[in-house]
Amino acid sequence: MTVKLMQGNEAIALGAIAAGCRFCAGYPITPSTEVAEVLSRELPRVGGMFIQMEDEIASMAAIIGARVGGLKSITATSGPGFSLMQENIGYAAMTEIPCVIVDVQRLGPSTGQPTSASQGDVMQARWGTHGDHPIIALSPVSVRNAFDLTVRAFDISEKFRTPVILLTDEVIGHMREPIELPDFKSVKTAGQVVLENPEDYKAFRNTASGVPPLAVFGTGYRYHITGMFHDEVGFPTQRLDEIDPWLERVNSKLEKHLDEITLFEEDYQKGAKIAILSYGASARTARHAVKQARAQGRKVNLLTLFTIWPFPEKQVEALGYCVDRIIVPEMNLGQLAFEVERIAGRKKVRHVGLANGEMVTPQMVLEKMEG
Amino acid sequence: MSDVIREAHGLNEGEFLEPRDKWFEQNETLQKLRKNKKFPTIWCPGCGIGVVMGALIRAIDHLGLKNDNVALVAGIGCTARMPVYMDYNTLHTTHGRALAFATGLKIARPDMKIIAIMGDGDALAIGGNHFIHAARRNLGITALVVNNAIYGMTGGQYSPTTPLGGKATTAPYGNIEPPFPVCELAIAAGATYVARSTVFHALELDKFLTEAISKDGFSLVEAVSYCHTTYGRLNKLGTAADMMRALKDNSISKSAFDKLPEEEKIANTRIVRGMLHQNDSRCEYTSRYAQILAQVQNLDVAEARRAGGI
Amino acid sequence: MPEAVHQTQTAAPAPGAAKKGPRGEVKIYATWCKGCRVCVEFCPPKVLSMDENENHPRLLAPEKCTACHFCDTHCPDLAIVVRKLE
Repeated sequence: MTVKLMQGNEAIALGAIAAGCRFCAGYPITPSTEVAEVLSRELPRVGGMFIQMEDEIASMAAIIGARVGGLKSITATSGPGFSLMQENIGYAAMTEIPCVIVDVQRLGPSTGQPTSASQGDVMQARWGTHGDHPIIALSPVSVRNAFDLTVRAFDISEKFRTPVILLTDEVIGHMREPIELPDFKSVKTAGQVVLENPEDYKAFRNTASGVPPLAVFGTGYRYHITGMFHDEVGFPTQRLDEIDPWLERVNSKLEKHLDEITLFEEDYQKGAKIAILSYGASARTARHAVKQARAQGRKVNLLTLFTIWPFPEKQVEALGYCVDRIIVPEMNLGQLAFEVERIAGRKKVRHVGLANGEMVTPQMVLEKMEG
Repeated sequence: MSDVIREAHGLNEGEFLEPRDKWFEQNETLQKLRKNKKFPTIWCPGCGIGVVMGALIRAIDHLGLKNDNVALVAGIGCTARMPVYMDYNTLHTTHGRALAFATGLKIARPDMKIIAIMGDGDALAIGGNHFIHAARRNLGITALVVNNAIYGMTGGQYSPTTPLGGKATTAPYGNIEPPFPVCELAIAAGATYVARSTVFHALELDKFLTEAISKDGFSLVEAVSYCHTTYGRLNKLGTAADMMRALKDNSISKSAFDKLPEEEKIANTRIVRGMLHQNDSRCEYTSRYAQILAQVQNLDVAEARRAGGI
Repeated sequence: MPEAVHQTQTAAPAPGAAKKGPRGEVKIYATWCKGCRVCVEFCPPKVLSMDENENHPRLLAPEKCTACHFCDTHCPDLAIVVRKLE
């Protein structure tokens, strides 16, 4: 494939196509609209379908309905739309239906500043929907990374029967970088799994892997899906001996497979006592700061997180052991820094953030290295 | 189930008994019920939702549809508890959003018959927007709205179809909001088959459901069944049987209504039953989209979908 | 499995005779019945009556059944089923 100058949102849309996504339901919202526009053009070319729904709530519902009917599906939005989608994201988590939700974060709260970036939805991605539930969120740092993480999002969404949030931001979404995409035929994602006989099928069986296979409606498996607490067959239940095993299985199914879900990059220097931990657009800031610091002769560790949720506790804990200070630049008032503090201890963590639409500068990060 | 019956059959608390005899096996209606689901149903004694369920099963059976080809998508509420009892592909979603989920499912599986089962609050209050747009798009979905004029599951709050002046738990001094004309809204939004009946007129419901499900575009059947447990009790309307009798007395067929003089039509407060609107000339959404696929890929419609691996 | 509590009656009219006797056979699945009385109150020839103790209908006059199917199309629980007799 040739090198093309491509926008982040376009790379996300093409990543979905490469991953086998064949349905998108969306609603226009800056700065995510290009994802829907590109998919509305590209999906019919591969036999897929796009529909612009009447609002984000309906978009999220439609992509779940489409996956139940067998089509891998995606939606894209930003802060205000992400808030609207929360109830149905919880539905996807409760019913364990795979889907990908792209949140191109913009400055909030409320209408905020549609054309400015932020990383203000970090906590919402984890806890936006009510109740205890697991979730996966990935944050790309570049246009090519956005393509790759979108493919990865579909893969782990299918593998672990969970909604996956592609938690990107206006910087990555709207920037253009020269990238070379792989041949789509070479992209591998989890396919449909082998199923039992319809008579024996239990859509929510408490399997050892923690992830029972999902049957497609209309293929001979007639079963019930509900957002109520349900037994293994799918019927609503109030029995503790059916609710407790479900809680155990679903809330630990990601924990059991963290090695496949936790994506990160360690750029460590032996003897470094300072680290910078970042993600998304702020990871670009961090990279510049590290480069400048090292050019000045300082030893600095750089931990780039691609997986934000489940929070990479193991990696952050290990980092916390070897350094005295972890600097966390992010475009919010400390949403991920809180997690770093939780794992590495408040004393070690220095948050440097802006919530006004501006990117954190390398200079701001370097200043946190002093004092 | 009463304790007396349970004891007579030697059943423990929480256990139920399903009828399983030759009659049951040979009865086509009863065969459509899920064999692994506990009965009797969750609804109050005398609840019309059960009557609608019987009509729905008979309609699907009459059309000869394969169980695998039918999907029931429901919102939240008493009416939305219907699908779990039937042996089809059943999806119980979030409040008001059945039609949005059904939209995605229909686009993925245009070959399936999809019936969205909703109450009046579910379809017209929180779900009003999706109701309008599903009708506008003329998606091949049958909307079955059971109008019980109340929010029953939550204990009797007023809904968009509660009669003016009716009492409800959140309208203790009487409802001051004029009710929604469900069918008229659907017609205005673009639905291509709209019919209304009541649970007293169960066989008429059978007929309308059969017609509605057989249509390609967006069809609506409104089944009126005022809730005797909440609305009926708060407004002193009597037993389930009394209220069913009232549905008979307070309704009028469309053909009779059309013959009324203009002043009587305007003053009418009776439920108008009948097939109210039909338009087979509008193109259904997924078939129009299929034409786009074929056009974009320069193939015929069936080949275009196969090329996408669908 | 214990049998459902039910009562049935079958009667075939003598060949050539005028149609007498029930035109329908009624089965009541009492374990599904919730005692709402719709079938009892609406049955035109009054075939059914409520059994006060057991909260479900009993066949009072099964020979009067005309197989009008009002009861089984209006039972919310599908607890009463009528089969038309030839």
